[in-house]
Amino acid sequence: MPARVNAENFDTEVLKSDKPVLVDFYSDSCVPCKRLSPVLFQIEEEYADSLKVVKLNINFDSSVAEQYKVYAAPTVVFFKNGIEQTRLHGLVKKSELTEAIENLK
Amino acid sequence: MYDIVIIGSGPAGMSAAIYAQRAGLKAVVVEKECLGTGKIAESQRVDNYPGLFGENGYDLGERFRTHAENLGAEFIEGKIIKIVRSNGEYTLQLDNDKALAAKTVIYAAGTQCRKLGVVGEQELLGRGVSYCAVCDGAFYKNKVVAVIGGGDTALGDAVLLSGLAKKVYLIHRRDEFRANKTLQNKVNGTKNIVPILNATVQKINGKDHVEAVVILQNGSEKALAVDGVFVAIGSTPNSALVKELLNVDENGYIVADETGVTSADGIFAAGDVRTKKLRQVVTAAADGANCVLSAEEYLNKNIQC
Repeated sequence: MPARVNAENFDTEVLKSDKPVLVDFYSDSCVPCKRLSPVLFQIEEEYADSLKVVKLNINFDSSVAEQYKVYAAPTVVFFKNGIEQTRLHGLVKKSELTEAIENLK
Repeated sequence: MYDIVIIGSGPAGMSAAIYAQRAGLKAVVVEKECLGTGKIAESQRVDNYPGLFGENGYDLGERFRTHAENLGAEFIEGKIIKIVRSNGEYTLQLDNDKALAAKTVIYAAGTQCRKLGVVGEQELLGRGVSYCAVCDGAFYKNKVVAVIGGGDTALGDAVLLSGLAKKVYLIHRRDEFRANKTLQNKVNGTKNIVPILNATVQKINGKDHVEAVVILQNGSEKALAVDGVFVAIGSTPNSALVKELLNVDENGYIVADETGVTSADGIFAAGDVRTKKLRQVVTAAADGANCVLSAEEYLNKNIQC
């Protein structure tokens, strides 16, 4: 299960992570977010060595969403060395996520 | 060769899958979204489906799916791009180069959100333009948003957003709202909802994200500064795939009565995509059941096994 991060630990857990990070910006009662969640669970297991997968609830940590100009849920943002690499929004297919992950390398 | 290919996995398609399994027919459900349950999943709460008072829409959809799965229903994720009839049978072409062969088709593809069709709508999708206030409302705490539409969904969205945003413009093209009286009273009693009637949206402006919505009211254009635009102007039927094969009404709904029988032999229509008065889970589920019976009768009459 992807761990939840928040505004307080975003810096240490995401920006200062050794590995690239996938952040799932999700919101409560959001159906596409619920649908995406099992897919991200699979991604986390399959890329356990090379990628960190976390989620951030925008209902609680809207300041982070605002900082990164995230306006839709779900939005998946990839970070590497503290810098945003790419983002996808909506209920994306698993193949689109794996393609983005391959491009991080 | 399938007896029935069911297109769509909402309540109508799931109900058809359940009845087909129970009838011992060889059936498959084709769904565009993996593990889908249709539009009902987006409803916060369903209080009118008999026996399941207060269930939220997402869980209700999951119950339908589990029920079908428990009976052994088969599902395929994919989009059908073409349906061809030859020798009394149907070939359904999928977007992954595969194809399915079927004796009958139950078409339960539902509806989708209607688009405004203005400049900026597609460009700023996910960057201020949204079709789901429940999903994206929380991004607009203390901001200014516009809701477009005058029905139950639009007014419901406006009320929901009024609890988060600083100000909500409620823009409607007619001189009065269509939504139910309870919602209208709520809107009238909410100070930070500003109704703007007799106004149409011309375009949505913004560079990286939405900055303004341009409206035309009383012959003059006006730009309202907003951070988000929520579009809630109803839905259109997903009937493009079959409209060359059968009769649809002027709004694109497939013409069929409660038997699901359409003008095309062997294609039956179920759920929101069919012409009907009341588009609800209960009527969608009924359609799925009726269509299986109609398909069975058609199979018995027309096809020697």
